[in-house]
Amino acid sequence: MDVSFVCLFVVAFWQVSGNVEGDALNALKSNLADPYNVLQSWDPTLVNPCTCDIGDAGLSGQLVPQLGQLRHLQYLEMFNNSISGGIPREVGKLKKLVSLDLYLNRLSGPIPDTLGSLHRLRFLRLNNNNFSGHIPMSLTTINTLQLLDLSNNQLTGPIPVNGSFKYFTPASFANNPLDPLPA
Amino acid sequence: MVSEFRAAFALISILAWLLLTGHATPSDIECLKAIKSSFKDPNNYLASWIFDNSSICKFTGIECWHQDDNKVINIRLSGFGLKGEFPLGIAGCASMTGLDLSGNSIHGNIPSNISKLMTYITSLDLSSNQFSGEIPADLANCSYLNVLKLDNNRLAGHIPPQIGLLNRLRTFSVAKNQLTGRIPIFRNISFPAGSYAGNPGLCGKPLPAC
Repeated sequence: MDVSFVCLFVVAFWQVSGNVEGDALNALKSNLADPYNVLQSWDPTLVNPCTCDIGDAGLSGQLVPQLGQLRHLQYLEMFNNSISGGIPREVGKLKKLVSLDLYLNRLSGPIPDTLGSLHRLRFLRLNNNNFSGHIPMSLTTINTLQLLDLSNNQLTGPIPVNGSFKYFTPASFANNPLDPLPA
Repeated sequence: MVSEFRAAFALISILAWLLLTGHATPSDIECLKAIKSSFKDPNNYLASWIFDNSSICKFTGIECWHQDDNKVINIRLSGFGLKGEFPLGIAGCASMTGLDLSGNSIHGNIPSNISKLMTYITSLDLSSNQFSGEIPADLANCSYLNVLKLDNNRLAGHIPPQIGLLNRLRTFSVAKNQLTGRIPIFRNISFPAGSYAGNPGLCGKPLPAC
């Protein structure tokens, strides 16, 4: 696997007493195997925004529901690791999220329909995983969506073409056993 | 014999793996090389376009699908003062969905086989250039088009009626050209008079009847 990707996990802390968010980060940290110790630098007591470089880190393990407590999170960038399991439904609580990049991992299960609540999302890249089930119709209600990549998964069912999905082409859905788009 | 089979199998596996992980095809790089060589660039806006085996994703005006994957999704070169004709080599950017060449000095025809050059185009802005000749009917085969801006050029002849088949179109303008004839009928939308203004002989809704 090409090892040149860099991944940014940017968390904006608005208050010193970010204990809830600190606990959330700790929960995530303890649920991931981190052979190269890249998560060592995460300091939940930091006041300033923290840029934590966890790209190409050989991270494995799973995401945690506590991610949903990072209410100010704008960028969730964990691409190109070996993370398995599903996307917690709680990710739908990250109302400020602008970018959700979990591509090139070993994630599986459905794409949660709660992601349709991310009404500031611009980039949604879940390609190259093992997601299954249908594409949630709720995603078509995200009007800010600019770039969608669900390619290279095991998704089935129809490709939505309404709402924000008018803007997406077969390029966004390639290599899935989805129903073909009507001619 | 067995070792040849093994070599072939290994090669096929590697190719399959490359395909599955969406690695760069050389064609996006060739596409950008073709664009750069198609245009005179008096303001040197394309100075950052240096082809030295590093990522094309940081080039001015280029947006990629993913970080440094060399797979172009959008090309935005508006107002760069570029001179020349439509770069046919753009076909190499096979995953491109957005092209904005507005506000340059591009002349000549819009390619008659444009749907073969950009299958997945959703937003095409060629406005404010010096394009001449007719609007190609083949644009009707760019079925994912949401935005089509051809205004402020020197396009002549009729608007191909097949354009009315583009059922994702939500922004359309051919204003300020040399167009004549009947305005196409769209099934689920109609565009305001401003989309057609500044032409010598267009007729039909929303303009006066032919």
